[in-house]
Amino acid sequence: MDRRRFLEESVLAAAALGAPFISTAPAVGKRRGEAYRQNEQAIPSGDGAVIDTNVHLLCYPFRDFKYGATEELVDKLRRHNIKQAWAGSYSSLFHKNIDYVNARLTRECRKKGDGMLLPFGTVNPMFPDWKEDLRRCHEEYKMPGIRLYPGYHGYSLEQEPFASLLRAATERNLLVQLVIAMEDERMQHPLVEVPNVDVSPLPGVLKGIPEIRLQLVHPFRHVRGERLQLMVDETGVLFEISNLDGLGALGRIIEGDHWYLRDVSIPPERLLFGSHFPYFPLENSLFKFMESPLSKKQARTIMSKNAERLLAVQ
Amino acid sequence: MDYAGTIKPMSDYNFAIKPEAYGLPSRENLVDMRIWDLHYHGLSSHAEIMPYFDRMGVERVFSLDIARLRGGGGTVSAAEAEKNAQENIALLEKEHERMSGIIRIDPTRVEETLELIDRLIANGPCVGIKTGRPLDEPVTVAHPNYDPIIRRLAELEAIIYIHSGYMVGGEPRTYYGGTRVGEAHPGHVAELAARFPDVPLICGHQGTDWELGVRAIRPHKNVLMEFSGMDPASGAVDFAVKELGADRLVWGCHAPTRSFANELSNVYDSDMSRSQRKMILGGNLRRISASIHRRKGIPVDI
Repeated sequence: MDRRRFLEESVLAAAALGAPFISTAPAVGKRRGEAYRQNEQAIPSGDGAVIDTNVHLLCYPFRDFKYGATEELVDKLRRHNIKQAWAGSYSSLFHKNIDYVNARLTRECRKKGDGMLLPFGTVNPMFPDWKEDLRRCHEEYKMPGIRLYPGYHGYSLEQEPFASLLRAATERNLLVQLVIAMEDERMQHPLVEVPNVDVSPLPGVLKGIPEIRLQLVHPFRHVRGERLQLMVDETGVLFEISNLDGLGALGRIIEGDHWYLRDVSIPPERLLFGSHFPYFPLENSLFKFMESPLSKKQARTIMSKNAERLLAVQ
Repeated sequence: MDYAGTIKPMSDYNFAIKPEAYGLPSRENLVDMRIWDLHYHGLSSHAEIMPYFDRMGVERVFSLDIARLRGGGGTVSAAEAEKNAQENIALLEKEHERMSGIIRIDPTRVEETLELIDRLIANGPCVGIKTGRPLDEPVTVAHPNYDPIIRRLAELEAIIYIHSGYMVGGEPRTYYGGTRVGEAHPGHVAELAARFPDVPLICGHQGTDWELGVRAIRPHKNVLMEFSGMDPASGAVDFAVKELGADRLVWGCHAPTRSFANELSNVYDSDMSRSQRKMILGGNLRRISASIHRRKGIPVDI
């Protein structure tokens, strides 16, 4: 199924369920007070609208988020000129009944997504019969891709089930998002120690899957130095920017002059807008485009064109 | 270090996006906020960095690295440290209309710390101190060594910035078991605040874990919180405003290793009035530092 058909089905499904297609901005604004409404006026989606490749829905185990309710999340996205968001589910991190999580994510996107949320289900290759989860993501839920959490699901990238999953997803022409981190390890719950994802095995793994479309999500706290250089030089992965930190970081990583990622240069064609919303403020990734002196073409490439290109392959 | 002339006014900031079209404040809006940045680490690349501050409309920066006592396992000799300090002081004096200076102390060497405070704050251009190192000596801000230091700083109405963090770790793992032995956490800040209830103290780095850090300092009205140096979190500033009040937050960027995007987004994510936002982005810092700035000939319009 192509993207247009998926969106049409999403809209039809939402309509059938009675989902609101009119923005809920006024009601939400009233709930949050006058100052809130004054700060953010409704913005019509236009040519410069953004595709956010990293949002999550539903329940994060350790905190209720300010914009955790899907209707409010969508309303917030709209008010910041986001036209489409690729959504995973926080429930993916710990639930064993991953198919239920994927089905619920799909319903949530269709029912409450106002036509802008694309569900990215999760497959854990360490689970028995994971291929059925993958099949359902593709054939039943019509997802454009899957989102993987090795740090939470207990596998390393050198393990064979991971490579098998990448191959199987690519055979189905699914985009793969590989989540490197979710939060600063210094702030994790003490009973939940999530290891960093070591991306070093990726070049070897990906050599056998040249058609893969793979995106690293929230990578820059852990993928640095030689590892980052390795990813740039020896793979074709794309990088989501939500935790690309540092003064003027977006411009400087393009120029290969980042403060602590120093010599590594990542061309705009390999950077994807992502917000890590609703954990991070949505404004964070948007401010990066104000903070860095970029050309309009660079900004457009990162904010939407690369994501459109990735989906168009389908 | 000669940077004169390298910082140019930019009439066209070449924003690739129109900020208002993405729900962001315009540069004019940011200038109107009169942003004072309490956390600047960019002295070594100052000329390269300041155009970013111009671009984002920041009014004043506080360098935390003007001078420091050698110690805590540092590799810089005393002579090198003094040479660096002299260069930094020269830069500070040249940039005094835009930059304020903070020094680093060593609480294991109280007499030398007091001498440094007298030389560079009482009789020099600096306006405050930042705590931190040595991290491996068991002398946090809760230690009695700090008492004479805080008394002297209070006399001078100096800024007192405390590096702090509840960091998860240890064996068994706890919410604060990863904090190093000489590193203050917000609980230590609270202990100090109780001994000096009339002295403004700044709990830095959001106490790492802001949900716990805010709770720890909440009873102590003389403690303000600053959020720099950590990932941003939606709702964090709302929580801090609710529990502490907007008058107990100050703003820092932690450039260049952290971005404006982090800390501006923390503030613009929150539901607050323009006047509250202005307090957090600069007003509160102007209020607590006005006296010492004025004594150094720097006018402060609160």
